[in-house]
Amino acid sequence: MSFRHETLPNGLEVIAEISDSALSTSVGFFVNTGSRDETDELWGASHFLEHMVFKGTDDLSADDINRRFDDLGAAANAFTSEEDTVYYASVLPEHQREATELIGRILRPALREEDFETERLVILEEIQMYDDQPPFGADDACRATFFAGHPAGRSVLGTLDSVRSISVDGMRDYHRRRYAPGNIVLAASGAVDFDDLVETARRICGEWEPLPISSRTCPKPPRVCGGGDEAIREQIVREAAAMEYVIRFSAGPDGDDPDRYAAKWLAMMLGDESGSRFYWEFIDSGAADYASCHHQDFLDAGVFAVQLSSDAESIEALLARTEEILTDVTVNGLTTAEMEQARSKLASRIVLSGERARRRLFGVGLEWAHSRRYRSVADDLGVVENLKGSDLGRLAERWPLSGSHATVLAGPLES
Amino acid sequence: MKQTLLSATLDNGIVLLGEELPDLESVAVAFHAPAGGIHDGEGRCGLASLTSEMMLRGAGDRDSRQLVEDLAMAGINWSNAVSTTHATYFGAMVAKRLPEAVSIYADILRRPQLPADQFESGRQVVLQDLAGTDDDPSHRTLLALKKLVFPAPWGLPSEGLTADVEQLTPEVVEAFASTHVRPDGMIVAAAGRLDWPDFVKRMEAAFADWQPGTPVTVGQGERGGRWQHVEHDSQQTHIAIAWSAPPYRSDESYEATAALSVLGGGTSSRFFTEVRERRGLCYSVSAGYHTQRDFASAICYAGTSSDRAQQTLDVMLEEIERLPGSITEDELMRVKARAKSGLVMQQESSSARAGGIARQWYHLGRVRSLADELKRLDQLSVSSVRGWLESHPPTDLSIVSLGRHPLEVPRELSA
Repeated sequence: MSFRHETLPNGLEVIAEISDSALSTSVGFFVNTGSRDETDELWGASHFLEHMVFKGTDDLSADDINRRFDDLGAAANAFTSEEDTVYYASVLPEHQREATELIGRILRPALREEDFETERLVILEEIQMYDDQPPFGADDACRATFFAGHPAGRSVLGTLDSVRSISVDGMRDYHRRRYAPGNIVLAASGAVDFDDLVETARRICGEWEPLPISSRTCPKPPRVCGGGDEAIREQIVREAAAMEYVIRFSAGPDGDDPDRYAAKWLAMMLGDESGSRFYWEFIDSGAADYASCHHQDFLDAGVFAVQLSSDAESIEALLARTEEILTDVTVNGLTTAEMEQARSKLASRIVLSGERARRRLFGVGLEWAHSRRYRSVADDLGVVENLKGSDLGRLAERWPLSGSHATVLAGPLES
Repeated sequence: MKQTLLSATLDNGIVLLGEELPDLESVAVAFHAPAGGIHDGEGRCGLASLTSEMMLRGAGDRDSRQLVEDLAMAGINWSNAVSTTHATYFGAMVAKRLPEAVSIYADILRRPQLPADQFESGRQVVLQDLAGTDDDPSHRTLLALKKLVFPAPWGLPSEGLTADVEQLTPEVVEAFASTHVRPDGMIVAAAGRLDWPDFVKRMEAAFADWQPGTPVTVGQGERGGRWQHVEHDSQQTHIAIAWSAPPYRSDESYEATAALSVLGGGTSSRFFTEVRERRGLCYSVSAGYHTQRDFASAICYAGTSSDRAQQTLDVMLEEIERLPGSITEDELMRVKARAKSGLVMQQESSSARAGGIARQWYHLGRVRSLADELKRLDQLSVSSVRGWLESHPPTDLSIVSLGRHPLEVPRELSA
């Protein structure tokens, strides 16, 4: 396994984690833009633009693009989050150049008005599809409430109304500002021909005009910094839902904080799908259909996200018990046995996902896009091996799970 | 590409399959017991699922908690699942931990404690899971379709029916486990960095003295009709369409799979182009191939807002009708490219290969080599796919819709 890096004169960075034994090559363009970079008038534009990128350039139609990806036998797709928009394809190594060229070319889309109106309908369908599914909007509502004005609280899809009001000119301007070469990383993993990758990038992206990129940092409300002891609660009533769904956010370390590894370790002890505190308390007994805890990090913020679902009658008791567990863990810590089991599981998952070139692409690409750092599988394993009980103590002091939090319920329960 | 496929059969009938993938660090192992939903029995739909849930609640000398802790300490990423025909116990791990996995799974399969005092908890887990699927409209749509397409008990939901699960007792679970979790008919597949002779030796030591059971037959009941609307209070209407196709063991399944891939496989497929790209009717639309051992089905799916659902169904039906006689050379080339790169990329994943070789053994009684599969793909031609479609036109359609309002379907179905 080796790592290579090069920067084009216009600022576009090219990186690769190269594996001699891989049978496939994955390439991805990681654009540093997402819902947090939108204004109210452009709410949902990052994701809408991700769709529009596949609708064609001045010399490629949408059909051409779809056919070419399938010609290459590519597993190609894209996703948008609060902070990133990623376009990627996994192909057999002989198609690396064509796949890279194709994605590079479509990142300069024509943004035709007619396509824009048709694709708007698809986005509206996507919003309705998610709105019909668990957790019935509780996740977006909880994020918005917890972050209270901080841009990480803006939902990715937008709303039916916000997407209906985005204009094609607004999107064109957003694309020009956010898809500048200095804001994009081309990453590859697996069986990569790095010299050819850089050459392709020069040919396809070398003429892209460099533009200054505006800063993404902004002030944070105290609760996002781990302070206070507010307990905010909201409810979304969905009479037709069979189950009640709960999301609870409290503050955690951000993506640059060394304690983020300890946070993932703690989340695993608390809410992994097997063998965790929540598992023995809620899942093993059949008290809940689902109970989990994850740590999610952003550029300048982080959260512990607790999720629960059960029949509506039981949910209040489960919530009360959850708060007791979170307080207990904050005050009394966890056992050595819990720490060792979670360490073993984390290490195993790092090894398993490390051998999938396709999954490494996201780890390597996002890490570089956010912080210009490269971390190998061995680096990650080293960190996990060295996590200590005292790390959890510090975490509890800085980011108490029992501190300020927002909880949103969605389901048949009446307010 | 060099491929090492291995197999052995123990005297009691357990089939051992292996594939060496020496470039990986991991190994994945799957124990497929012939204890799937088709053996539930009249009025006991969900018995296989509840039994599988109870099997993990202590085995051999390990109580419920010890079992889960042992799996965690060995870094085994485990899961269990019940399909129509099998109960599968799966684990992926760093290769050197495989001996521990064999020992733990020998306890689970041969010496489950099935503790009576945890029976109600186990039942609650299954019931919570069932209630959760009520909130998943696409899953419900496909469950309803399965009932129309496959005869009972193959068409019944392997996750169970609430009313039946409420009637199950510890005694029927115990009887089910001792009758159906048995060596004859069991397939154990391992793939990854595998020491095959050591694996076979350990499997023999742990399983060879397990006595086979008496043969079991399953009677074939009725199909559920041709057309059904399920009332559901949702913004979107979900549509599923099916017709019969040759089972996987038939050589023609390659032609059938290719035809369905043209219809609704990649982003250049007819459905994606006509339903989503041209008309913006929905976010997700697809067609695929689903097989049991003795029968198989083409299954098409779309989810779309209620006021555009009729148009979506009409366009899908037109595309299905147009398919025979219209497949082009370009389309088939793309199908082959996608299938080929899918096959090669599977070789990068121990989990995918452990699943793949077991599935082939179940359907064919042997494992096809990658070279054979690629050769058969190459033999696909426009005339072979057209020929198959002309002799098996998609005329015996079954249709399910789920949403606020029923749709108009072709008269021969609703009659």
